[in-house]
Amino acid sequence: MKKLTLIVLSAFTLSACTHTTEVKVTLNETNGLTTWTSSGDGFSVEFIQVVPDFIRAIYGKHDFPKKEIEDIASYCVYGSVIKNTSDKVLTYRVSDWRYVQDGKTYPVKTKTQWLNQWQQSGVVFSWTLLPDEGEFYEGDWQQGFTTVKLERESFFDFIYTWQLDGVEHTSTIRNMQCPPYEVKPRS
Amino acid sequence: MPTLRGQTTLMNVRFRLLLIILLALNTATVSAESPKLGHRLSAIKITLPAPDFTLLDMDEEEHSLSDYRGKVVMLNFWATWCPPCRREMPSMERLHNQLDKDKFKVLAINQMESADHVFAYTGQLDVDPTFTILFDLNSEVSRKLNVKGLPTTYLIDKQGNIRYRAIGGREFDHPEVIRLIKQLIDE
Repeated sequence: MKKLTLIVLSAFTLSACTHTTEVKVTLNETNGLTTWTSSGDGFSVEFIQVVPDFIRAIYGKHDFPKKEIEDIASYCVYGSVIKNTSDKVLTYRVSDWRYVQDGKTYPVKTKTQWLNQWQQSGVVFSWTLLPDEGEFYEGDWQQGFTTVKLERESFFDFIYTWQLDGVEHTSTIRNMQCPPYEVKPRS
Repeated sequence: MPTLRGQTTLMNVRFRLLLIILLALNTATVSAESPKLGHRLSAIKITLPAPDFTLLDMDEEEHSLSDYRGKVVMLNFWATWCPPCRREMPSMERLHNQLDKDKFKVLAINQMESADHVFAYTGQLDVDPTFTILFDLNSEVSRKLNVKGLPTTYLIDKQGNIRYRAIGGREFDHPEVIRLIKQLIDE
C-alpha cells in the first residue's frame, strides 16, 4: 500500500493549557483516501476518510431502510480511532466536538442523535458509530464512525476536546477534507 | 426464545459472500493502520457485582453468568464486522486453551448477529474458536453491563464481581493478562 505522509506541527494557546499537537496526514495512494492522525496530552485520534459506497454496504448489511442509508451516506464519514496514550483517566464527549467552515461553527452529530433518528425508522441496531462519551483507562481505545455534514471534498477545521485527570484539553486538525464520492487510486 | 439456527444453505452462502466483500472493503478503507494491540486490563476502582443474564449459544443451549459462579469469567462483547474484535479473537482462543477450563471460562457475547452469520465467519478463521459464543440479539446484555463500544471485555471474579475492564482490542494471551487471571483464580 503506497502512502504519502505529511507531518504538521501546530501550536495552540488555550485557556486550560498550552500544548503542541502533531498532525500527520497520510494519503493512501491505493484508494486515494486520506487519514489524519493527531496525538498529544494523552489522547491520540485518527480520522480515516470513508466513501459513501462503503457506508451503504455497512448499513445495508444491517437492513437499514434505504432512506436512512442514503442519509448517513450523504455525510462526510470518517472511521475514527481514539486512544488513551497516557496512564491517567481520560474522558471525552463527542457533543463538545465542533467543525468550522467559512467562519461558521457546527456541532458534530452524536451517536445518540443518530439513534434517535433511526429509532423513528424502526432501526434497533446501535453500533458502528463512535460512542458519545467514554472513560478510558490506560491502554483503552475505541473505533467508530464520526459524521460531519458538509459538501463532499470540501475543507474544514475539526476541533475536539478531552479531559485528562479532569484537566480540559482542546486541539484542532486544520484542513480536514470531506471524503470523495468514490475511491480514486493515484497509481 | 428466538430461533438461532435452521436457516437455509443459500442464506449461508449469501452471508459468506457479503462477509468477504465487507472484509475486503474494510481492509481497503478503514483499517489503514490499525493500532498495535496492547495487553493492559484496568482494575475497576469500585467493585460491583456483574448483573446476571441468560443467553443462547450456537447450539441453542442456555448459559447464565451465574452458572459460572466459582470460576473466573472473561466476558467479551464483539461482532464480526468489528476489526479489533476480529484481531483479538485468536489470542482469546490461545488464552482459553492455556488455562484450566474448570477454573476459567470465556463467554464471547456477539452483538445483534445471527448464529448462521457467526458460523459462516468462524468457519473462515484459521483456528475455529472453542470458547463459548453467546448471542445478544437485541444488545440487552451489553446495555446492562454499560458497554458503549466494541470490543469491550470484563474479567469477573469467582464471586461474580467485575474486577478488570478493557475497551478496545487486546492480546489476551500476554503473560501479564494470564498473571491477572491466575491471581483471580487463586483468590
